[in-house]
Amino acid sequence: MTAENVVFLLVVVVAAGFFSLNVQRLIEYMRLGKAEYRTDQLFLRTWNVARVGIAQTKILREPIAGLMHATIFWGFMVLTAGTIELLISGVFPSFSYARFLPGALYRGYELSQDTFAVLVLGAVGFAYFRRLVLRPRRLQGDNVEHLDAYIILGLIGALMLTYLLAGGFLAVARPGAVAETRFASHIVGDALSRMGVSAAWIGYRVSWWTHALLVLAFLNYLPYSKHLHVVTSLFNVFFSNTSWKGERAVMRPMNLEADVEKFGAADVEDLTWKNLLDGYSCTECGRCTAVCPANITGKPLSPRKIVVNARQRLMEKGPMITSDRMEFLRPMFVHGEGADAKARTPDEVLQHRLLDQYISEEELWACTSCRACVQECPVSIDQLDVINEMRRFLVLSESRFPPEVQPAFESLERNGSPWAFAQSDRAKWAEGMNVPTMAQLHERGERPDVLFWVGCMGSYDDRAKRITVAFARILQSCGIRFAILGQEEHCHGDPARRMGNEYLYQMLAKDTIETLNRYDVLTVVTSCPHCFHQIGNEFPQLGGNYEVIHHSTYIERLLQENRVPLQTEEGKRLTVAYHDSCYLGRYNDVYDAPRETLRRALPVMTLVEPKRTRDRGLCCGAGGGRMFMEERTGKRINAERVEELLATGADTIAVACPFCMTMMNDGAKARDASVQVLDIAEVVAERLA
Amino acid sequence: MANVLVFAESRGTELRKVALEAVTAGRALADATGGGEVHALLAGPPGIATKASQLGQYGADLVLVCEHAGFTKYARESVAAMLADRARAGYRAVLIPFSANGRDLGPRLAARLDAPIVSDIISFSAAGDALTVKHPGYANKVIIELEVKGSPAVLSVRPSAFTPKEASRTARIETLAPAVDPGAERVVVKEIIEGAKGKLDLGEAPVIISGGRGLRGPENFKLVEDLAAAFGNAAVGATRAVTDEGWRPHSDQIGQTGRQVSPQLYIAVGISGAIQHLAGMRTSKTIVAINKDPEAPIFKVADYGVVGDVFEIVPALTSAVREAKKGH
Amino acid sequence: MKIAVCIKRTPDSESRFKIAGGGTAIDEAGLKFDMDDFAGYAVEVALQLNEKQGPGETVAIAVGPDNVQETLRKAMSMGAERAVHLKVDAMPFDGLATAKALAAELKTGGFDLILFGKYAFDTSAGVVGTATAELLGVPGVTAVSKLDIANGRGTARREIEGAGEVVEFPLPAVVTIDEGIARPRYPSLKGIMAAKKKPLETKPAQLGPVRVTVKKMELPPDRPPGRIVGQGAAAVPELVRLLQNEAKVL
Repeated sequence: MTAENVVFLLVVVVAAGFFSLNVQRLIEYMRLGKAEYRTDQLFLRTWNVARVGIAQTKILREPIAGLMHATIFWGFMVLTAGTIELLISGVFPSFSYARFLPGALYRGYELSQDTFAVLVLGAVGFAYFRRLVLRPRRLQGDNVEHLDAYIILGLIGALMLTYLLAGGFLAVARPGAVAETRFASHIVGDALSRMGVSAAWIGYRVSWWTHALLVLAFLNYLPYSKHLHVVTSLFNVFFSNTSWKGERAVMRPMNLEADVEKFGAADVEDLTWKNLLDGYSCTECGRCTAVCPANITGKPLSPRKIVVNARQRLMEKGPMITSDRMEFLRPMFVHGEGADAKARTPDEVLQHRLLDQYISEEELWACTSCRACVQECPVSIDQLDVINEMRRFLVLSESRFPPEVQPAFESLERNGSPWAFAQSDRAKWAEGMNVPTMAQLHERGERPDVLFWVGCMGSYDDRAKRITVAFARILQSCGIRFAILGQEEHCHGDPARRMGNEYLYQMLAKDTIETLNRYDVLTVVTSCPHCFHQIGNEFPQLGGNYEVIHHSTYIERLLQENRVPLQTEEGKRLTVAYHDSCYLGRYNDVYDAPRETLRRALPVMTLVEPKRTRDRGLCCGAGGGRMFMEERTGKRINAERVEELLATGADTIAVACPFCMTMMNDGAKARDASVQVLDIAEVVAERLA
Repeated sequence: MANVLVFAESRGTELRKVALEAVTAGRALADATGGGEVHALLAGPPGIATKASQLGQYGADLVLVCEHAGFTKYARESVAAMLADRARAGYRAVLIPFSANGRDLGPRLAARLDAPIVSDIISFSAAGDALTVKHPGYANKVIIELEVKGSPAVLSVRPSAFTPKEASRTARIETLAPAVDPGAERVVVKEIIEGAKGKLDLGEAPVIISGGRGLRGPENFKLVEDLAAAFGNAAVGATRAVTDEGWRPHSDQIGQTGRQVSPQLYIAVGISGAIQHLAGMRTSKTIVAINKDPEAPIFKVADYGVVGDVFEIVPALTSAVREAKKGH
Repeated sequence: MKIAVCIKRTPDSESRFKIAGGGTAIDEAGLKFDMDDFAGYAVEVALQLNEKQGPGETVAIAVGPDNVQETLRKAMSMGAERAVHLKVDAMPFDGLATAKALAAELKTGGFDLILFGKYAFDTSAGVVGTATAELLGVPGVTAVSKLDIANGRGTARREIEGAGEVVEFPLPAVVTIDEGIARPRYPSLKGIMAAKKKPLETKPAQLGPVRVTVKKMELPPDRPPGRIVGQGAAAVPELVRLLQNEAKVL
């Protein structure tokens, strides 16, 4: 070891030490959040890291930008091996992987380093081009910081350049020292070949040191940059639940008996450590905001902003609450911290909250809970979780919500339905259809095979009642022994829950579970995806466990088993655009059953897909309780969606959800469009023999 | 034989229609309890006395007139005192209209006289000492039959429940002095804001005409406004569809997320009847729907429906209503 | 200000009603009960007045059997500081009898303002509020759609068939509240929890003699299914005739 090695060791130790202090600081801030258990399902979590993280599946949903990022990411992983080798060799100059790797493998390793250095450099070049010239829309808005991105890209680019330069110089200074497989370094070396050996050696040492220092600087820049995601993203994916089927899309259980000052989240310490880790992992790529139906139509909501604000607030408040030894550096590298809230004094910082000073009520209520944002996020951030918790705070702790929501809450409480219709009118649709109620069967000592949960839309809305009747007819035509709850059915509380009123929700849900249990219900079929999701996936939180099937899946099964007596003539030649329901699709992965149902029922129809379809489908705008709220800003979401569906040239829009039905109908009417909107059950029922 | 005292409500120097209804009811009650006299009490500014004979035409035997400048507006405490004073002279019942001011007057009278009171009656029957009345409770969903014990009984009469019937008498006229100086009212009327300036509130209006998408554009709401003007006591409402489009202000919206109304008469023009809207007006006493689509859900809740072009039907209806109202 | 709000527990106004076996009452099976709508507006007005005018006390008072305590708790969950339950075995229909019980309680309360709903959904009579004003000997204003209080005086607006009447009056006074004036706030979970601990005093109600009693209750004749009167402008004369003679709304 020479003096140079000792100096290098010192530099590394100082850099690492500084970095670790920052890591500790960030972890301390993160622990301001509430505790949460996220080390279950270890295999599934690891698999997600492999799939979403390493294989970059979500990143690659955008092919070109995705490839660009994947190149940099994979390059980063491959080149890290080289970085480690380099850093160790800075202290122990004779160190090299060649010591324990067979020659061929080592040469392969060296090839990989050069290859990725070039690829990464190319990707960086393209990234600059994209940001500076192409200027894609999702990289604008929300006070997105381009400077940070340019710095990072510059650092990465410089790292690649210094690596290649070092190789090139070395090739000139010590011919033979650079293996043949390091083709790129040789190309550089050829370009430098006219330098003298001693000059080349100096060039090599300078490049080498520059590269090493850049690595350490890069490392220490990360905590102050949105590129912190480089450190946190794989952890974030590991700890995320957003990719788990069904279960993932449930709202958090909430203990209302707890003796707490507030319910829901108003500030960063009310969020969990995972929400805060989400904040660290956000790169501000904007893919979430780009697919947000509210944002697309001009509402102030931006899922990216929600996450970034949470981080900004944490960075603003964290130092106030923890003993932050690194506080003195914060102002120098402020990354948009506090910018939105503009707190000027420590008192102001403490008085401010994430809610109101950063995130407004309007943003929170604009959300339709469609989960498009969660679906897109490459690092598995759960933006919807924060929105839900903040809604809970608004409603439960401060009783703040859009005024038009109050009649819905009151009606749910008094009437068991979000609309002011009499409980006694619930089963009116069934008049003359000979549909037994659970009570009637129970009296006779009988049990049905399945309970048909009708839902409030299906019971009261004129248009939706036709869907109910259609599905009932299908069931009857197949000889399915089913029953309805009739007047004993009332809302399960999902609208209340989505709007943050957990108290009202639990009241309604628990009562529903009691009724279902009283009748020993095992299997439920429903034509409403919201009912489907609530009873099937969220009721277990309160002890209600039932097998719940959506009518699209149910009908598809019946069709597959050839149990549905269909007409033999070929039927109308319709061109059908199927609109994916968010609560069926993104929430529960049901995309094919409705389509299959249509194909089997109407073999001659042409199924066309709108531009944004399946897990990229645009929401109809009614979810998240928005069905009960006024849309006051921007373009109507349903108008946006209907336009898209009409652009396919379809003469029919097929839906599998009564809320979507209402939205598509209204949207079509507003444009005086002659398209017909049908539920898949109606399509099948029309084809009954 | 027992006499019946009737409060003949007036506004300014005009008798109100409800006064004639009350006298008619009073006449019927007197006849049903042995044929006693109907005494009408009329309080108003100087000039009101000329209206006394009209009360006789509808069955009043005696009209007690109190003319005083203080009665230009509703002097509640003074009127209540005067009526109570007179009522103590021995009447079987005191009848007042269940109008806006009648609702104020009735309970005062009952408290001052320590008399039983039933508001908003639509019919009555008498058998000996027993007086039985019918009154719609639970927002007109239940008809309640009540027995009233005690004399006098204060009964306020639902407007339009009794049709004024001529039963010509030549009424004797007596002048009354106010029992209490109307100028000494603790509740002072500062101002009457006439309806034309202050729009009739949707919650108050006995008649509501609502327009929907079938009107095709904001400019066509003039049809609805004209119809409302023909009624005179009508407010104009709108569906969510048209308020969302900006054709009408949001405050006019009737529906789940707008106003919930229960007028005597609701006329839905060019409205399909989506669940959102129905939730706001289903409890209206009488619903008329005008729409070109015979399948529109609104027809399922309407009492009377007219299918056809709203642009033809509404103007025709407007003229017809204007004609009908001329008799008021 | 010290404000008393007199409230009532009534069935939900959206319900469909059936008559109970005896024919003298509605069948309560399956009905949801809550604070009467107009009483709710009155509570909201009281709370808003006290919020605007600085520290004060809102007291909720109700006559009724034990089940009315739930309604008093609701008033407290909205923000009323305390409640008084005037207990009776059964709610009389006789408004004056009820007014006497309330007047007896309110007399010694030292209230600046006493609020009622314009009428209660079940009785739909509108007697108790204004009768109480008379019994207490204080000014009474019936069915206000706007209310302002300043310097010991009140200004209110009443709707009087196509016009608005603006009145002024001194406090203490009784005011009955019409709709449109304020939307009753939705109690937050915090409010609901706090209400459980607020004071609720029960005492026997000193009802006046009950002279109005329910003899019978019946449902109005079924709303006959609507009918299409005709097509186009030609149907208008028939429609007008029906509105005049059948529906009696013209």
